[in-house]
Amino acid sequence: MADLITLLITGISEGAHIFLMASSLSVILGLMKVVNFAHGTLFLWGAYAFQMIFNGISGQVNNTLAWLISLLGAIVAGFILGIIFEKVFIARVYGNIGAQILITIGLQIVFTELVRVFWGARVIAVARPEFLQGVSNFSGVIIVHYRIFLIAVGILVAIAGHFILTGTRAGMIIRAGVQNSEMVGALGININRYFTLVFAVGAALAGLGGALFAPIGGTVSPEIGNSSQLLAFIVVIIGGMGNFMGSALGSLFLGVMMALIGWTIPDLALIAPVTLMALVLIFRPQGLFGLAVKH
Amino acid sequence: MGNITSRFPNLITIPKLLWLLAGIVILIIPPISTTATITMVSRIMIFAVYAMAYDILRGYIGIIHLGFALFIGGGTYFVAILFANVGISIPILLLAIVGTTIYSIIWALIVGKIAAKSGLLATAMITMAFAEIMRNMMERWRTVTNGLDGLTFRVPAPFDNRTFMYYACFVFLLLMAFALYKFTTSPTGRVWQAVRENEQRAVFLGYDTNRARTIALLVSGVVAGLAGVMFALLNRFANTDVLAMQMTYNAMLYSLVGGSGSLFGSIIGSAVVVLFQNFLLDLRGVHFIFERWLIFFGSLYILVVIFMPKGIMGFVETIRERWKHKKGGKIYES
Amino acid sequence: MSLLKVENLVSYIGLFTILHGINMEIQAGEAVGILGRNGAGKTTFLRTVMGLVKTRSGVIELDGQSLVGKPPHKISQMGIALCPEDYGVFDELSISENLALAKHKDDTATQDRITYVLDLFPDLKLAYKRPARTLSGGQRQMLSVGRSLVNETQLILIDEPSKGLAPIVIEKMALALKEISKKSTILLVEQNFNMALAVTDRYYIIDEGRTVHNGIMQELANDKELQHRHLGL
Repeated sequence: MADLITLLITGISEGAHIFLMASSLSVILGLMKVVNFAHGTLFLWGAYAFQMIFNGISGQVNNTLAWLISLLGAIVAGFILGIIFEKVFIARVYGNIGAQILITIGLQIVFTELVRVFWGARVIAVARPEFLQGVSNFSGVIIVHYRIFLIAVGILVAIAGHFILTGTRAGMIIRAGVQNSEMVGALGININRYFTLVFAVGAALAGLGGALFAPIGGTVSPEIGNSSQLLAFIVVIIGGMGNFMGSALGSLFLGVMMALIGWTIPDLALIAPVTLMALVLIFRPQGLFGLAVKH
Repeated sequence: MGNITSRFPNLITIPKLLWLLAGIVILIIPPISTTATITMVSRIMIFAVYAMAYDILRGYIGIIHLGFALFIGGGTYFVAILFANVGISIPILLLAIVGTTIYSIIWALIVGKIAAKSGLLATAMITMAFAEIMRNMMERWRTVTNGLDGLTFRVPAPFDNRTFMYYACFVFLLLMAFALYKFTTSPTGRVWQAVRENEQRAVFLGYDTNRARTIALLVSGVVAGLAGVMFALLNRFANTDVLAMQMTYNAMLYSLVGGSGSLFGSIIGSAVVVLFQNFLLDLRGVHFIFERWLIFFGSLYILVVIFMPKGIMGFVETIRERWKHKKGGKIYES
Repeated sequence: MSLLKVENLVSYIGLFTILHGINMEIQAGEAVGILGRNGAGKTTFLRTVMGLVKTRSGVIELDGQSLVGKPPHKISQMGIALCPEDYGVFDELSISENLALAKHKDDTATQDRITYVLDLFPDLKLAYKRPARTLSGGQRQMLSVGRSLVNETQLILIDEPSKGLAPIVIEKMALALKEISKKSTILLVEQNFNMALAVTDRYYIIDEGRTVHNGIMQELANDKELQHRHLGL
């Protein structure tokens, strides 16, 4: 029983960290109809920006402060990269799914390779911030502090995102745009500016996801972008395309499912979520929870 | 409204002289080149078939198949697994071919059912998932496939002779190009293009779009599977990379560079991209920046989409139109 | 100066040219109908004015200012509102949010206009906080039309408001539009001849992408032969 709870915590924390990438991917897909194969690369750059700053200033300032600054750096890196990707490349190919796929693939290849150019191809060690290191034991249930933190971040982002989407005018515009972006323009709102904003914020979230992810495994390498991206796509599908809360539920579901499967039948660890995505697309295209936004 | 015709000059309209020239060039390469060159051109020809098959889906019927690697990968693995585990002979090769064909047919039918009821994006994602499942399965089935490390095997005579293999690839290319050409100019081929332009309208016009789509998938899948067989024979090696997303991305790039919607474009595209790739790899010796040749390769995707979205054939077509215009011919708006 | 001037308008979608030459002049305060067969280009015309479809050549001027090449949001800010065929209502947003989204300014005048809309369409007031997907077809049409009144609109483009609605709802809508036409200029695309007759004073007929005929609505109502020739009635 205690083991099960530990497993659940692991699963939920995995879900929380996928959520950061998946939620932004979902809103971007829903609002801009953009298939972004470079989303994992934004995650990757966030992780490396974090690592570079954290490993760089760790000795000089207070550990927690260094960590916060590094997180900020990752967020900013993601945001800037997001603006560049959107304005220079993706804005040219709106409406053309084939072209988007190809251009974002190109961006993924180039920017992943650039990581190798700047930081090398080997893995680089990344430590957790001191105040989050450590493990507690509550009558058999092993609680990794860093994982609880990830869950907290996930919940925070979910609440903040939900509040922004439902309680602000910008959020209302985005929700309307996900359903019918043409009409939003016809009502007098410059929807393209929102496209850029949503993409940049989404990229920043992905960057944050990368920065938070690095200390889990303890290392970063150029490959981490793509594996996370596939999982994010799966969450977008099962959570319902375009739905923010759907991606929260989807991430939770996927995280727990993968933890359970990883424990029982490790061989199916990747096949299971991919199969689930295929099944949902075929039999329940509106998402596992029926939350996909209709157009 | 305009007639629905292929956007680009079809194979036959390329001047006959050019054909003859190309044919001669290809025929005389083996005696005068290194093994490396012979192998490279063989590879180009196989990829040309692979790209043409991909473009049947993308450029003709309009399906984006993000898991297209599973067809060529299937063909490669059928040969590899049988040769490595069962035996090396022509009959076994034939068995592999039969197996690949059945495998491709099954996958084609599955995707056909899905594409009939799902949108473009959903189909793209599902096919991506399928290829990932296949790749993952092959990777875990280490006892048979040796996973990422791959299988090395010998091939039966006369395929073990590089020059023979080269001409075999050439014949393969000619046969497949001819077969696909026949399909694209057949009534079914016209339905493919009608579906690509506007499926709803094609349905209203009375075309059986589901049947046309299934045929496209079958043709495309089987041809790509056969390309996989040739690929295995050429390389004498197979690992899970042949089922990876990069393999699908390659097909997309070849047909993009050459010009989607034109069989000849796929042939040109594969030649250009493989030559460019080799060129970049060779440059590594010259300057260290080319160590990171992937950057240039990735940039190719971006640059072609932005500046030459219609590919080389599209560019040629534009020149042709301007030439006609200059000569005073009329250009009709569609 | 006319409110809306259209001269030799040619526009295209993808590779196909849909409008081959539209000519029209609308004065402020008019209620003008656009009639024609299916596929004649009526909806494309409205969408072209709104900037949702590219103009290839020709003139579109609102109060002397050219609309050609401007993005839809700028055209909306200039004072044109579109009520599209499919209503363009946001299902996941509430009625109040749908109306609030349309606001160009946040002032008392706008608030008064919203109040007017809710009085004009009491159904909307009742469902105010509910999501728009709970509305019936007729109520959605009301929301779409009501939304176009939220700002100081100079010109309202309405695309087939009666489509798919029950006769009694059509009557209500016609009355509402008649009411609206007293204060705003309306361009109404309609296949339902009676609806057009009830609301509009003048008409243009579009056939195969061209304006082929225009005149006084009442005269068209009396001319069966003309109706048959151009509208297939």
